[in-house]
Amino acid sequence: MASRSSNLTHPPVFRGVGRSILLTVPIALWSLLMFTPAFQHAGRNLRIGAVAAILFMTALFFLMMRTGETYRWRRIFFVALGFLFPVGFIASLVAERGTMSIPISRMVSGDTPFCFMVTPSLLVPAAFARTIIFPGSILPTASNPHSIAVMIGLWFAFTLVLGKAWCSYACFFGGIEEGFAAFPKRRRLHKFITRWGSRLRLVPWAILLFVVLGSAVLFEPVYCMWLCPFKTVTEFPAVRNVETAIQFGVFIALFAGLVVALPFLTKKRTQCGFFCPFGAFQSLFNKINLFEIRFDRAKCVDCTLCQTTCPTVALSSESIREGKTLLNCMKCGACVDVCKKDAAVWHLKGTPVAVKPERARLLFLYGAWALATMFGGSILANSVAAMIGFLPWK
Amino acid sequence: MRERLQSVLAYTGAGFMLLVAVSVPFVLMPAFTKVVGHAGVHIDAAYSGGTIARTIQRPGYRIVVYQPVQPRLLEQIEPFVQIVFRPADALPARVCDEIDLDGDGRPDVRVAFAVPVDPRTPLRGDVTALNGKYISLANVAGESFSRLMVRTENGIVVRVPLNGNLAHR
Repeated sequence: MASRSSNLTHPPVFRGVGRSILLTVPIALWSLLMFTPAFQHAGRNLRIGAVAAILFMTALFFLMMRTGETYRWRRIFFVALGFLFPVGFIASLVAERGTMSIPISRMVSGDTPFCFMVTPSLLVPAAFARTIIFPGSILPTASNPHSIAVMIGLWFAFTLVLGKAWCSYACFFGGIEEGFAAFPKRRRLHKFITRWGSRLRLVPWAILLFVVLGSAVLFEPVYCMWLCPFKTVTEFPAVRNVETAIQFGVFIALFAGLVVALPFLTKKRTQCGFFCPFGAFQSLFNKINLFEIRFDRAKCVDCTLCQTTCPTVALSSESIREGKTLLNCMKCGACVDVCKKDAAVWHLKGTPVAVKPERARLLFLYGAWALATMFGGSILANSVAAMIGFLPWK
Repeated sequence: MRERLQSVLAYTGAGFMLLVAVSVPFVLMPAFTKVVGHAGVHIDAAYSGGTIARTIQRPGYRIVVYQPVQPRLLEQIEPFVQIVFRPADALPARVCDEIDLDGDGRPDVRVAFAVPVDPRTPLRGDVTALNGKYISLANVAGESFSRLMVRTENGIVVRVPLNGNLAHR
């Protein structure tokens, strides 16, 4: 992420071990509480997965407390989530129906698990025609526990607490491109981002408008049917005619370009920052969320390291001059950790900027990590359990 | 004074957010599920098949006939009528039924299919229109949302396309 140094951040300031452990205890207890049902009711593989998830999430939070850094440890969780979610998901699909493709029979019986990415597409038809244009079930059933009510409720709670930090702590797709962006030491398309980044940042809004209006007119989830790159690693309508074959080709092309190639070449989350309409939708909730990242102008020396480091081009010269991020800030913490002058700080709206920023950071992280453990941690546990199931000596 | 009040409100709000976060699995999710369940929204008829019109009893099984589904605005489906034979396990090895879809006492379509013993075996069958209101389907499986014959947990779902828009439902 930093163009000159292989280290993301300036040398970390280590907090005391005792203090770090004390601050980590609530998260450890929360993790144990979240995975208690796994210990009581689940099989051996899931119990192992649960233990791994508890240790993983608790260890990362401890390191966040110990080093005072956020981005590096959050990224480890997020990339793990991004790569392991498809493993568990695909394993369950193949075990259940032998294929990743969704047969039309599952769509007409309401058994399609709900994905939060379709939420913006549903709004207009739901508001005006009381109709959900998604082949799922409203309430959870035995064959479809990931019903619309459950997933929308989860999304709503996350969004209330985190705003657009959903894209840094919950989205099980963002970690894939964050992983590819982390591989290379240096950016290869530096000029591309410098020249086009500020314009490309507006594209997700255009796509959001397109999918909302298109879904309202066509009464189908346009993003899911035509534009979602992540169909490639989850499930997709079975290819049964020319139309579905074209759809599948588009999914593959978008995934290869936006999720693999461009993040690798630019070290940016290009799908998230330059395409995802759900991310643009989430940006709106940054307006009402209490947590944000701000800049202490007294300390800032305009080195632009934060701007270079930001994975989604959520900083501009103007916004930094005003002491703020742009609306599409995901609160990943990269700019805070990389700032050598401690000018970039976590902030709780309504309080003075740069006064006790660690307190704002802690309050934010407790909420974010609690939700991440509940949601992402359980996905990790299930994926680890699925991987154990593949082992020959299980 | 004003700044202090703002700070107090800010920290109170942050504490409330933390409370929301930890109450999600215990309180918020069940409550939200109930709210959505009572919100009066429904799955689009293109996926759900619409609302039930009538049930026709047969020996050992029943045939559920749904209201015709018409496309909205530019929705990319043909108008269709859904029929469900349930339960699938109670069906004879071969089904050949003439069904009155519009409730006028005269059969409108003849549906014929063989029920595979293995539920995972793909299903194919024929729908023969007995009048001009409906479109026949030969060797149909899961062609589209308007033309299909598939097996689900609920039964055998058949969708028969309508020949142009109905004047009335």
